[in-house]
Amino acid sequence: MKARFFFAAALAAALAVAASTASAKPTGSKHALASKITVWLQVDAQSGWPNLVAAANQQFQAKHPGATVDVQYQTWGDHLSKFDATLAGGNTPDVIEMGNTEMTKYMAAGAFANLSSQKGSFPNSKNWLKGLAASGNYNGRTYGVPYYAGSRVVTYRTDLFRKARAKVPTSLGQFTATAKRLKKQNPKRGFSPVYIAGTDWYFAMSFVYDYGGQIAQRKGGKWVGRLESKKARAGLAAYKRFFNAASRASKTGTENRPQPYDVYARGQAASIIGPAWFSCCVGKKYTKATKQFVMPSHAKGKAMPGFLGGSDLAVPAGSNDKSLATDWIRIFTSTASQRGLQAKGNIPNATNLLGNSVNERAAKRSWFVPTAKNWVNVENGNVLRTMLARILTGRASIAEATAWADDNIALTLNQ
Amino acid sequence: MTSSEIPGGTAFAAEAALQPRRRRSFTVARVVRGAAPYLLILPVVVTIAAILGYPLYHLARLSFQKYGLFELIARHGTNVGWANYSSVLHDQVFWHVLIRTIVFTVANVALTMGIGTLIALLLTKVSSVVRVLLTAGLVLAWAMPPVVAVQVWLWMTNYENGVLNYALTTLHVGDYYQHDWYATPFSQLSLTTTLIVWGAIPFIVVTVYAGLSQVPPELVEAAEIDGARPWRVFKDLTVPIVKPIFLVLTSLSIIWDFGVFTQPFLLIDQTRINASNELMGIYLFEEGYLKTDFGRGAAISILMLLIVAALSVFYVRKMVRMGDEAG
Repeated sequence: MKARFFFAAALAAALAVAASTASAKPTGSKHALASKITVWLQVDAQSGWPNLVAAANQQFQAKHPGATVDVQYQTWGDHLSKFDATLAGGNTPDVIEMGNTEMTKYMAAGAFANLSSQKGSFPNSKNWLKGLAASGNYNGRTYGVPYYAGSRVVTYRTDLFRKARAKVPTSLGQFTATAKRLKKQNPKRGFSPVYIAGTDWYFAMSFVYDYGGQIAQRKGGKWVGRLESKKARAGLAAYKRFFNAASRASKTGTENRPQPYDVYARGQAASIIGPAWFSCCVGKKYTKATKQFVMPSHAKGKAMPGFLGGSDLAVPAGSNDKSLATDWIRIFTSTASQRGLQAKGNIPNATNLLGNSVNERAAKRSWFVPTAKNWVNVENGNVLRTMLARILTGRASIAEATAWADDNIALTLNQ
Repeated sequence: MTSSEIPGGTAFAAEAALQPRRRRSFTVARVVRGAAPYLLILPVVVTIAAILGYPLYHLARLSFQKYGLFELIARHGTNVGWANYSSVLHDQVFWHVLIRTIVFTVANVALTMGIGTLIALLLTKVSSVVRVLLTAGLVLAWAMPPVVAVQVWLWMTNYENGVLNYALTTLHVGDYYQHDWYATPFSQLSLTTTLIVWGAIPFIVVTVYAGLSQVPPELVEAAEIDGARPWRVFKDLTVPIVKPIFLVLTSLSIIWDFGVFTQPFLLIDQTRINASNELMGIYLFEEGYLKTDFGRGAAISILMLLIVAALSVFYVRKMVRMGDEAG
């Protein structure tokens, strides 16, 4: 009796284990109709300029009757894993938006279709921004079409600044003093004069470059981390001082959870630092009292180098309809569409379209990540984020944290 | 099993007696009857072999290949022998993660089994109304999908607006205003443990409670009349009877908690994952998927399988031995 009970239990357990570990085989979606294209854009487009996407889709459908566009919005955190899964399953999207830091790894692996022969057919291709166009090039071939670029600016509450009798700061020191005054005037706990997430490495590394340092350097064929240098450490010390004076955000939190503009819209921040298109979502209450300025350097009168982020549009090599996909990109990067992006606070992809907005002025002094094939792995491994969290929480001194980071960066980039 | 439990045992014995005259049919019948148990479990074995064995074979094959992004797109890997295993076993991070995961598993299993057994014992003592309410609450906790549970937990422990910080501060437990629950690896893993134990207890409670019903109440009464204290009753009377269930649940919990991925990955968040708070499942994901080195990920996966097997072999052997003793 006991044996039977026992064996029944064991069998049930074995089935339970099998059931919990077996997973359904995912069905790969094939393009049943050749006239449907799948486009992967980032959620930035969904919240920032959905009307431009809709306009491009309308134009595309008018030009290709019977063709439909399925736009799927992705988040920066997992879109690469999802892309890898589609590469394995053979059902890649037809158009994918890639960050400019992500392109190299995938171009080197042969993930994208070669667009070199059609380069001239893209609008304004002769005047593409050099930095952005370079991110879409590999071994002399063009794989990515520049979509847009963006630098980081400070979005601020004009009413609170006026109350603190603060002008637009022209140096980091001035900005810090303004922040302290704003905190005195708005003593509510949790209110940030400048809301910066602790591990916002895009912003923190600007300090490193501002003080003359850099993240990594190529020496004798190998990558070496350079955050241990005196200049880089001085920059990080300045970042820590500024953070402690100005921000009440989580020291280990990231710059997209919560979204800074959500904190701003709740009235918990006098200013936020991020892409210029943040102005879209500051909430009805403060839209009229919101303006932007360029983040000042520690040197008076200069701009702090801003991270020149940007996106490219590429056609995966496994796409079933490359000509339709390329045409969609052509329509989406038209001059009219670029003007629309510019109006939302982005930098257009061609020099002949540049204006004099805050964003474009900020881009005049910029920095970019080391152009290494494995840079994406450094980002995914959260090396810089962990380093910043340790420095800000005090769990490691700047010297220790940067030494650790340099070792990890060198290890990952040289793999 | 004695021959009296085999179906048709007496016919069997009779045929054995007639052996010299019916040799050929005896052999065929014997083979058929001997093969009957195996034929009965053949469908299950084939299904499990297909569902688990085939992917396992491919995984093992992948672990001996170099298979990165380039090979993924080309759909072809290159053979590198033991290089992946060597690289993983020489990686300091792997050993730190292994120790951390073992400690994590021990803590989780101990808490789950301990609290689960206590609640199951409680269920035997309370009135039926309370029992129904308690069981309903447990089943609701059990039925909640892990991803949803994590999201609710994240809202509760939110830095700016979390109810946990608010409650602790208002109740004057301390100043938890804008307390960052995800600041240190210990805090992150403790929260993960709480979430996992919360989700795992209901299963333990329901199963142990079912097992406790096997304990004859007359024996318990007799023991209490003889003057045995509750702990003695539990240790010497309840545990031996419920032991098979404890063994099964412990080995299952070890298997599940060692390879847990969903809760820690979503709760700690990918942007906070680094070498000082990785657990085995997450280390596997980072190395295999985020660094797009599928060969290495497969090697880690096979190593995980061997380690979990080693951790649970003690319990499985005990179960098999108990089965033999009972039979």
